[in-house]
Amino acid sequence: MKPFMYIGLLLIVLITTGCWDRTEINDIAFVMGTAMDLTDDGNIMGSVQIAIPPSAQGGPGKSRKQEQYFMISAVGKNSSEVIRNLQDKLSRRLFYAHRSVVFVGEPLARHGIKDVLDHFSRDPRTRLRTFIMVAKGNEGREILKIRYPFEQVPSEAVREMEVSKAGLGVTIRDLFIAAASEGINPVMGVIEGAVPSKGMEDSANKIFRLAGAAVFKDFKLAGFLNNKETRGLLWVLDKMKIGRITATIPGDNGNVGMVLTDSKRKITADVRGSRIKIHILLQGNGSLYENNTKLDIGQSENLKLVQAALEKSVEADVQGLLTKAQKKYKVDVIGFGQTIYRDQPKQWKLLREKWDQQFPEVDVSLTVKITIRDTGMAGPPLLLEEKEIKK
Amino acid sequence: MKMFRKWTGSKPQVMKELPSVDDESAQLTSDIGQNELILKQVFQNCSDIIFRKIHISGHTQWLIVYLESLVDDTNLDDHVLRPLMSGYASHDDSAPDEIEGVDDRVLPLGKIQRTSKVTDIVRHLLIGQVAILAAEDTRAMTVAVNGRVQRNPEEPPSELVLRGPRDGFIENISTNMGLLRSRIKTSRLKMEAYTVGELTQTEVVIAYVDGIADDNVIEEVRKRVTSIQIDGVLESGYIEQFIEDLPLSPFPQVNSTERPDVIAAGLLKGKIAILVDTTPFVLLVPMTFWTGLQASEDHYNRSIFATFVRWIRFLFIFISIFAPSLYVAVTTFHQEMIPTNLMLSIAAAREAVPFPALIETLLMETMFEALREAGVRMPRQVGQAVSIVGALVIGQAAVEAGIISAPVVIVVATTGIASFTVPRFNFANGIQLLRFPMILLAGTLGLYGIVLGFLGTLLHVTALRSFGTPYFTPLGPLTYKSLKDVLISAPIWEEAEAMRSSTAGTNNSANVRQGQPSNSNQGNRPSGGN
Repeated sequence: MKPFMYIGLLLIVLITTGCWDRTEINDIAFVMGTAMDLTDDGNIMGSVQIAIPPSAQGGPGKSRKQEQYFMISAVGKNSSEVIRNLQDKLSRRLFYAHRSVVFVGEPLARHGIKDVLDHFSRDPRTRLRTFIMVAKGNEGREILKIRYPFEQVPSEAVREMEVSKAGLGVTIRDLFIAAASEGINPVMGVIEGAVPSKGMEDSANKIFRLAGAAVFKDFKLAGFLNNKETRGLLWVLDKMKIGRITATIPGDNGNVGMVLTDSKRKITADVRGSRIKIHILLQGNGSLYENNTKLDIGQSENLKLVQAALEKSVEADVQGLLTKAQKKYKVDVIGFGQTIYRDQPKQWKLLREKWDQQFPEVDVSLTVKITIRDTGMAGPPLLLEEKEIKK
Repeated sequence: MKMFRKWTGSKPQVMKELPSVDDESAQLTSDIGQNELILKQVFQNCSDIIFRKIHISGHTQWLIVYLESLVDDTNLDDHVLRPLMSGYASHDDSAPDEIEGVDDRVLPLGKIQRTSKVTDIVRHLLIGQVAILAAEDTRAMTVAVNGRVQRNPEEPPSELVLRGPRDGFIENISTNMGLLRSRIKTSRLKMEAYTVGELTQTEVVIAYVDGIADDNVIEEVRKRVTSIQIDGVLESGYIEQFIEDLPLSPFPQVNSTERPDVIAAGLLKGKIAILVDTTPFVLLVPMTFWTGLQASEDHYNRSIFATFVRWIRFLFIFISIFAPSLYVAVTTFHQEMIPTNLMLSIAAAREAVPFPALIETLLMETMFEALREAGVRMPRQVGQAVSIVGALVIGQAAVEAGIISAPVVIVVATTGIASFTVPRFNFANGIQLLRFPMILLAGTLGLYGIVLGFLGTLLHVTALRSFGTPYFTPLGPLTYKSLKDVLISAPIWEEAEAMRSSTAGTNNSANVRQGQPSNSNQGNRPSGGN
């Protein structure tokens, strides 16, 4: 009988452990997005967007149009208190693992997000791969209220936008890495809500759009970069995967557009005492997708002309970024400090303490090299007559 | 095993003591009338026993005894009665009046035995032979005039193939032996006969190819078969349970099949077949885990396709065991593992369902097993009704009523299909049994429980042995060469080579025929027999 006793004992072990983290799906409230805002009295207001699973079945009743998500908010002095107060309003347990975005309202971002962030790194149920964004000129919860036609839940749409690499796509993890690294300051994606698209101003449904990047200094919002500068930032940070570049061709009154298929960057630092020279080399390959000039780009001189124009255009973007970072916000978002730290660690030791003062003085030179690998099926635009084409 | 008996409280049955005529020493007397009485006493109340006397010169010269139900009348008339009678009539002087002469000159039959023991005569009568007793002779002759009704060796319904021989074993052991002999034409194919069962006296034949099969395994099979003590053997399943290494394991350690080609293939690979009279199911030992996943067709089809199908089976055996438990574990413990959109769909489907996922899945799995069980034994006319009830009521209605969620129905249906991809149905049965403890583990401990269950199963399977062969060979103890027939289904010439090398040094071409077309463009391919 001994084996049976053993089996019995084992069973008891299995059974009496209890199903301590067992939760049925219909006892869970799926948080899809969170917004953090600052209240007037300095507390934090947390809002969550919760998906409502469309109950497709359950009786013969035809599926009527029902809300697919709803939003609740609660106030507290820190994240735990907010969550507790949120939970008090819900019949189901809050479940954060599927959250796709955290929005930070601009007032809170300016006030400082240090106190809010710790919760995200400590609680194992939250995901570090959640995207974090600043709601430009707005409270974060306003973004959660905006309807979006495609996805079931609007937050999911934001995630899709970020994943598609069009934007900066900063996750909480990226934020922590940048914050903990030497010689680089974190940036965040920016979302702008309730912007009517041009040409449909009177549309009832205002949607959101990605709007560049937010620059942080000491976990406080220092300012924003626009889309052009953000594109430059992406390339300089080597995060550019795909991208479109447009340029006007001087002396031809036309413009061209290209799609980058791969891009590289190289940053070299030359430190001589307090004279710091940084050289940025950006290289990109791609194909020409649009040619609104009269040039026949089948000709190599014309192609060189186009490439030069494109390089100028990129240069302008990056230069804009550099000016803003160095002169306006005085925040090293590109990681020049990091480059020095990696290449010349001894020099960095001397520079580290006064880097914030040094950074605006850094002498930056920029080289852009663009190669067009593929000009498409036609040389000159097909709609031009033979004699109009410039060879 | 002993423990199991004690547990169920059953004891081997004790028979009512009968007046013994099975006395081993009982002999025939020289008086034919006395002999008739002895036999009549043995076959008291047996309405199908026939005593036919042939009188010559006023006294009983021949007494012919047989069981009507087992003997073919035409054969008896043609080969026994007529020769005896007419032989006497035509060759008056030379007609033999004792046993010695009869078989030499009168009876045109092959299998003739002479004996004076009553027990022998009785045994022979019971297997359908005819006993011929002569006056004033203490010996009787038994001749085989078998005429038991038997069906044709047609394709076994439990193991259909698209490509392959269409014959199958039947309920007659000599036909079955013939089916094997016709495939393996060598004297090295040995068939040892034993009798098992006190009352049924069932013939059990151990077949193997001498020189390929391991002698130790043969000896072990002999030992296990001869030590069986039982009243009746009605099916080879009885033998299987007696000789199995671990009868309480969900995995069968003895392969059984109705297909002669499967047995022949096994014999050629050194396995041992156990044929049992009155059943078409022949046993094959030792069995390994992987034979449970091999169909006979694997070697008839083209290697690439067979390999593909084999991997489909590997995949689906996993699905068959783990799909429902994974669903339960992931939906009740690890909701974060599911992609968000799928999660929302599942949540939507489960929104109205009143049961926890564990109960829901168990409910549907049990229902499916019930449907399957009902379907197996259902007369064909009623079968359609069952499938309609199954599909409509259980599937659609339950989902529409919100009692069961649609994902569970999908999971259970997938599992059902998966369990039918296992070619050996007794192996599939074992797999099905594993599913339920897995679901329970998943419902209480989540993925952790599934891993525990998987490890437990793996431990059990690797520790299991079938007649000395580890059950998980050749993956358990890893032998790279044998993997050819496990992870892939190698072309047959690859395996033929392996088989040849295992029988090298013998002068019999049992496995590679003479004149095998030597269409080889590779020098190392076997090009013929020795």
